Order: sequence, then C-alpha cells, then structure tokens
Amino acid sequence: MKSLHTSLRVLLLAAPLLVAGAAMAKDAKDIVIAVIPKVAVPFFDDCNTGAKQEAEKLGVQYQWVVPQNTQGSTQVKIIEDLIAKKVDGIAISVNEPKSVEGVIKQAVAAGIKVLTFDSDSAKSGRSMYIGTINEAAGGTMGESMGKALGGKGEVAIVTGQLGASNLNERIAGIKKALEKYPDIKIVATEGTEDDLAKAVSVDEALFRAHPDLKGIFGVSQVGGPSVAKVLATKEFADKKGAVKVFAFDDLPDTVKGVKEGFIQGIMVQRPVTMGKLAVEHLVAQINGTETNPKDIDTGVTVVDASNLGSYTK
Amino acid sequence: MSVVESRAKPTMATTGSSVAASVAALGKIRELNVFLALIVVGALISLATPYFLTTNNLMGVFRSFSMTAIMSIGMVMVIITGGIDLSVGSVLGLSSLVTAICFGSGLPTAVCIGAGLLVGVAFGAFNGLLITGIGLPPFIATLGSLSIGRGLMYIVTRGVPATPDTPDIFAVLGQGYVGPVPVPVVIMFAMMIGFSILMQKTRFGRHVYATGGNEQAARLSGVKTNRVKLIVYILSGAIAALAGVISFSRYLSAEPASGFGAELDVIAAAAIGGASLSGGVGSVAGAVIGAALVGIIANGVVLMNINTYAQQAITGAVILIAVSLDVLRSRRKGG
Repeated sequence: MKSLHTSLRVLLLAAPLLVAGAAMAKDAKDIVIAVIPKVAVPFFDDCNTGAKQEAEKLGVQYQWVVPQNTQGSTQVKIIEDLIAKKVDGIAISVNEPKSVEGVIKQAVAAGIKVLTFDSDSAKSGRSMYIGTINEAAGGTMGESMGKALGGKGEVAIVTGQLGASNLNERIAGIKKALEKYPDIKIVATEGTEDDLAKAVSVDEALFRAHPDLKGIFGVSQVGGPSVAKVLATKEFADKKGAVKVFAFDDLPDTVKGVKEGFIQGIMVQRPVTMGKLAVEHLVAQINGTETNPKDIDTGVTVVDASNLGSYTK
Repeated sequence: MSVVESRAKPTMATTGSSVAASVAALGKIRELNVFLALIVVGALISLATPYFLTTNNLMGVFRSFSMTAIMSIGMVMVIITGGIDLSVGSVLGLSSLVTAICFGSGLPTAVCIGAGLLVGVAFGAFNGLLITGIGLPPFIATLGSLSIGRGLMYIVTRGVPATPDTPDIFAVLGQGYVGPVPVPVVIMFAMMIGFSILMQKTRFGRHVYATGGNEQAARLSGVKTNRVKLIVYILSGAIAALAGVISFSRYLSAEPASGFGAELDVIAAAAIGGASLSGGVGSVAGAVIGAALVGIIANGVVLMNINTYAQQAITGAVILIAVSLDVLRSRRKGG
C-alpha cells in the first residue's frame, strides 16, 4: 500500500516537469550532437568541416566519432554508446544499411533524433536522409557523356566493388540517362575492387578489347586516376582527348587529370554541405521546429577545366 | 592408395638432405605441369579473342602480374619453411608510402629507394624475431604486423594518397622498358632465376627445404632452423618492399589502400605453383608461374567481355580445374 502511494506521489510530482520539458526548447549549449562517418577518409574530413562550423554557429555541443573499421558492428557499438551517453541527436553515414536498423530504432525510441547522411539506411526509422541521390548523380554523368560524344559511340563503365549499392545506383542512373541516346552503346562494365593497380590493368585490357571505345565512366574514385595514368603512356597516347572520361570525386590525381586534359569532367559531391545540413536539421528537430522532415539531395557539381579553380563543396 | 603415397613422401625420409632431394624432384614435376596448364589456358584465351596474343597485351599482362609474382618469390620460401607471411600487402603499401614521403621531402633517389626497402627488412626482421624468439605462430605474428603496417599507413596518409614530384630517372623502375619488355618484368625474371639458383643449388636452399620438411630432423642434422627462418622472413619483407618501391614508381601515387589484400593473391600464386602450406614443398619458378596463371585469366575475362559479375567465379573455377588436372597428372605418373 505504502509503496503504491509513494509511486503515485512521484508520478504526480513528475507530470508537470515532463510537460514543461516537452514544451520548452533546450538551451542550445545543452544540446549534444554526434556525427558518425563511415571511416577516416578525406571525403568525411569535409563533412566534419561543414558540421563543425554549423555546430559552432548554432552554439551546440558537437562530437565527431570515427569508426576504426568499416564493419557494420562497429557503428552499432558506437550508437549504443551514444544512447548510453544520452546525446540529443545523431547523424550517421552508414556502412551496412541492414546492421544498424535495430540500434537506430532503439535510439529513436530513447528520444534521440537520428538522421543519415551520405549513405542511407532507409528502413531504420531515421527521420531523413541528406546526401547525393546516387542515381541522380549517375544521370548527370550519363547526360554529360551523351553531350560530349554527340550522342554516338562505344562506352565502358569502370566501377569499384561490385556489391557497393551507391556505385550500382550511379550505374543505374547512367543507363537511364543513356536511354535517350540510342547510338551510345555500353560495351563493358568492369569491377576494380577500388584498387588502383587492378583498375589500371582493367583499363588497359578494355582499350585493347574495344579499339573503338569512345568514352569511359569512372564510377568509383579510382576510375578517373587509373584511366588518366593509362592514357599518359606512350601506347595509348593517341586516345588522350579522343576517349571522353568522366569520373567521380575530386581526389588530387583526378583533379590533375582534368588539368592535363585526360579527364573531361568530375562529378563532385558536396560533403561540406552534407555536414552543415545534417547539424542544422538535427538541431531543428530537437527544438521541435522541424516536425515533418523530407530527404534532401545535395546533388553533384560537374567540375571541368572551366570551373576547376572555383567550385565549392 | 596413391594419395597416401604422395602425402607420406616427405615424412618417410628421415634425414634433412634426403627430404630435400625428394621434394626438390617433386617440385620440378609440379612446376612443369602448372606451366602446361598456363600454356593451355593461354591457348584457349587466344582462340577466343584476337586481342590476347599481341606483344602490347602480353607485355601489359606480364607487367600486371609481375608485382604478385615478385612477392610470391619471397612468400614461397617462407611457405617452404612451413610458415606464412600475411604482412606482404601491408609492407608493399608502407614501403611505397615511405618512398613517396622521402621524395616529398626532397631526398635523393637512392636514399628514397633505400628507405622503402628498409621498411621491408625491418618488418621481416620483426616477424622473424616474433616467430623464432618469442615462438609466436607465423600466422599470428604476421597478422599482427599486417595490421600495424596498414594502421601506420592510415595514420600517416589520413586516407589521402601521397603524390610527390619525382625525378624522371626514378620512373624507369616501374614504367621503363628494356626493348619491348617492361622493366618490372625484367626484374621479375632476374629474381626468379637468382632465387631458383639459391633454393636449388646452394646449401642455404637445402636448409630451407629441410626446415619445412621435418624441422626436428633438420635441427638434429645441424641445420640452424631459427636462423634459416629469420632469414626467409627478412627476404620476404625486403622483396615485398621492393615490389612497393616498383609499384610507387609505376603509379607515382602511394594509395592508402595499395597492397590491401595482396597477401591472398601472393599465397595463392605460391600454392597454385605447387607449394604445400604444410611446408617442405614448393619452388620459386612454380610460384611465378602460379602468379602468371592468375594474371592471364584476369586479363582474359576482360578481353573476352565476360560479364563482370561472373568474372570472379570463373577465375576461381579455371584455377581449380587447372591445378586439379596438374595434381591428377602427377599422381598418374606416380609422383
């Protein structure tokens, strides 16, 4: 009897506090946001830059939590820790869409706002996705090639890991865009495991097997640099500029390839924008000012010789 | 019955030297058969596509597999002692990175190459001492150094490839030609001949076979097995580092992921070439031929325009068929 009485009293005392907590926005300096990249690579350094600046601007506490490897389980552990620490918001670029579904649901149930950026886990119950819609980016790439070739010729696709869903979505986008150009024929699609040495071998074999090749799509980040290296050799020197090359991501060697005329265009994603938007939307959701979030396509910038020095991410 | 015979062979002999003699003979037959498999696969590919049997393509293929082949020379010596070296991919990556950093800080070419090679010697000595001194199993010791090497690369590069300016003379190592033959291929053949002689004709070579064939017997007959092991790990490290320097010279870019997973290709080359992972059996030439077999299949599937998603499965199947035929043949001969 007595214990029931006490718990009732606790409930009565707590109720007004709960109501107040829901209605009143938290002080900005008490809000803790954690951002989790896939792994430590330059792309995510740019995300960190954008996210950190936005967090400073809004005056919220900011954590950048980098997984030691790309296994799905590592990110699961990180999120579990963040739930235990009672952070207010989590933005994550997912390594393994399936493996984090359960733990993201747990976080959401614990009252934490979660969104994904760059790489999504669509069925996890996250509030929104901010990043490149890869199929749309592939479409932009296909369209650029269509124009560069004047709508005619043999092309090949050089990808990274065959199983990577973002790369496969880009390829789907390329194919859809090329439907408009019936005289452009995709003669080969090759994987490289994102290894520069393997990619160079594959490119050489492609040029030999398809002497009439007019265009190459470098769908993953090794594509551009590998083709540039092959075109720089004496054997394939006559193909420089004659074979149109479009690549993804502005790694130093890819940018150099554009400067030297081996690569005609790079699809550059906008990681700084992704980081900035991720923090902005998390804080809005925590404060209750954003109640019905929608996915955001940050898009790609097509970087070529004309805007090489001036593009922003 | 014949399986038992061929399996029992190394253990039947009791002294180090007779073990060495019998496995060396077995090794010769094996490598000849893998070589035949190589010719057959090459002939089939050239029937299927006109682009295979051209000088340019063949030289390109040779250059492609030369890195795996060079590393497999060090690996096969380690495997013959009954060990394994999982760190070769990391050593390749780290040595190309160290070479790149040296060029980046303006050091002379010889110093940069020397520094790259030193990485391999250091890792090899580290592996060898863990195995012979502390007594760690080779798998664990070299797995540890694999992680350390790769980790150091990520710490140093933070994921960004190192692409310093290099003098033109350095590029000859990876990009140059002697006549129509790429320099890395020349290096591969020179090393194959040199290390074959070391393994087949010298006392050190016999000691390596003896250590893996029956370590206790070898030790009793006066072979300093720990010293032999230490030396083969240092050689394996140094050779992997050489591959790293050549690879940097070829691409002039030290990628954080370069050499990632290469240890599997290298071990596979040695095993396809007839090396037994339980030690005592294998040959340098066999390992190079094993790398060549994998290399021409990788080239062939692209030239023949085989669906990219099917390539890996087909590569695996062709390797299994080729090596099975080789094993069956040598069994029929009573080898």
